[in-house]
Amino acid sequence: MNPKPWWAKVGHRSLMLLATIYCVFPIYFMLVQSLKTPKEDVFGNPFIVMDPTLENFQELFDREGEVRGFVGTALRRSYPFADWLVNTIVVFAGSVAATLVASVAAAYALGRLRPPGFRWWRRGIFAAYVIPQTLLFIPLYQVVHTLGLDDNLLALLLIYPTMALPFCVWILSAYFQLLPREIEEAALIEGASRATAFFRIILPMSRPVLVAAGIFTLGTIASDFMIASVFLLTPNNQTITAGLGTFDVALDELAAVAGVNLLAIPVVTISALLARGFVRGLTAAMIEGA
Amino acid sequence: MVSVKPAGRAGDIRLAYALLSPALLLLAVVIAYPVGWEVWTSLTDLSPLKDGSTGFVGLANYRRLLADATFWQAALVTVVYAAVTSAGKLALGLGFALLLARPFRGRALVFLAIFLPWAYPAGVSVIGWYWTLNPPTITAYAPFMGQLKYAVDGTFGIGAWAFASVMLFNIWRGSSFIAVLLLAGINAIPQELFECALLESRSAWRRFRLVTVPLLKPFLALGVFLSLTSAFADLSNVWMLTAGRIVFPVIGTHAYWLVIKAGQYGPASALSLTLVPFLLAVLLVLFRLFDPPQERSTA
Repeated sequence: MNPKPWWAKVGHRSLMLLATIYCVFPIYFMLVQSLKTPKEDVFGNPFIVMDPTLENFQELFDREGEVRGFVGTALRRSYPFADWLVNTIVVFAGSVAATLVASVAAAYALGRLRPPGFRWWRRGIFAAYVIPQTLLFIPLYQVVHTLGLDDNLLALLLIYPTMALPFCVWILSAYFQLLPREIEEAALIEGASRATAFFRIILPMSRPVLVAAGIFTLGTIASDFMIASVFLLTPNNQTITAGLGTFDVALDELAAVAGVNLLAIPVVTISALLARGFVRGLTAAMIEGA
Repeated sequence: MVSVKPAGRAGDIRLAYALLSPALLLLAVVIAYPVGWEVWTSLTDLSPLKDGSTGFVGLANYRRLLADATFWQAALVTVVYAAVTSAGKLALGLGFALLLARPFRGRALVFLAIFLPWAYPAGVSVIGWYWTLNPPTITAYAPFMGQLKYAVDGTFGIGAWAFASVMLFNIWRGSSFIAVLLLAGINAIPQELFECALLESRSAWRRFRLVTVPLLKPFLALGVFLSLTSAFADLSNVWMLTAGRIVFPVIGTHAYWLVIKAGQYGPASALSLTLVPFLLAVLLVLFRLFDPPQERSTA
């Protein structure tokens, strides 16, 4: 192809720069904020941090059971951040695992075993995506209450998997469906069981799509704020998301922003490491699915 | 194809239902039963604040909604919210995806930057956004943000700034996901089609309109669908970014408000359900555009 004129290159570069700044600036801003001392928060330049400190992060963990307050004990609050961290890890890891297991099983059934009406099953499951859990609070609360899961992490482990499940079943079953039949049948003829063929052949071949489904699930459940806040009430039972929602804006701004970063950094790192796989998996599912 | 014995096929079908059951059970408990409950409740006058038995009121709750000015306001705001954010997300996302579609130096980094807003956990970034846009008065940038807020509120009415910030947040996060989705879609289209187009026409706009958009149509449809569902359901972001001070109610916040303030379960259920037909209609369009292919005749 003919070389581009210089202005096209400059234009392309500046578009890139603009896009990058637009996407990263809010994240950068929150990160800088969390590294500030109270003094710099008040008097410093909002866009940079001259004297970075980790004391806000430190404070999150020190706060357990501590008396806090500028006005006697009126503002006494303790934030069991260590508990929140553990709860969050349990809920996120458990929900992603449950989502993947349930959707791989369903997708295998729909994409390879194809029971009668499998196309309608798939559409029906995807249609569940239409119904936002946030509109179902009262009946969901009844369900949770009936199962005795009030104020219990298991409530989130029950609800979160359904948030991404429809999408995961959709892309996984589209992918499974057009994997050539022969690869599995060869193994079956050799005398392998269906399970062996699945775990030794189908599953390894589906790695990119599994990564895509996993990242999508993580992103979806990490975006929930309402469900965590409504169903987890006791401070010790909360996740980071629910807990940070109870922070007081005027008093704990820096600690809260530190908390935001503390959850975001691991989640973003995991997603970023697998980002290429995410695109590749979506592409694979779309070649099969479109 | 290897001939499969009927017994084997029957076993396969049983296995299929067994494998489907965990997913279906989850959806039944968390989605289907609650939706059924809401449908039923929307036809009654159930309320925890009312003594006596719950009466069946037919479509009265719906009729009352249609006569209620607040409902129409909430519906209008919801539609505007969904339309503006979806258009913004789609335009930005498509732009990002097209920028990333061709190789250039530093593409991996730009891709990562564009991927970040979606990967950043929205459950907490919404808290960060709220405090950034409505900072405590002591912070260094509070005066600037305060002026911006009053300028916007002064021009468009109280609450406009909060609402604009919700939209900005939604677009910021959503455009990132749409970009990744469309990029995956572009990668799924055989490169030769674009190369052929390059030979056919020298006008970039014509190529975009006549080749890129039609090829991307199913993915655009999927993007629109995901964007609309999230926008209609966007209770938490509105709630959080306006700190519960709802000046511009959307359907979701209005329903939540009816429940927690007034204990009006029936009307709230009816209200929540008004969104579902629209989303189902969008879903039907989506199924037409984006469905796994019919089984090949050879299979």
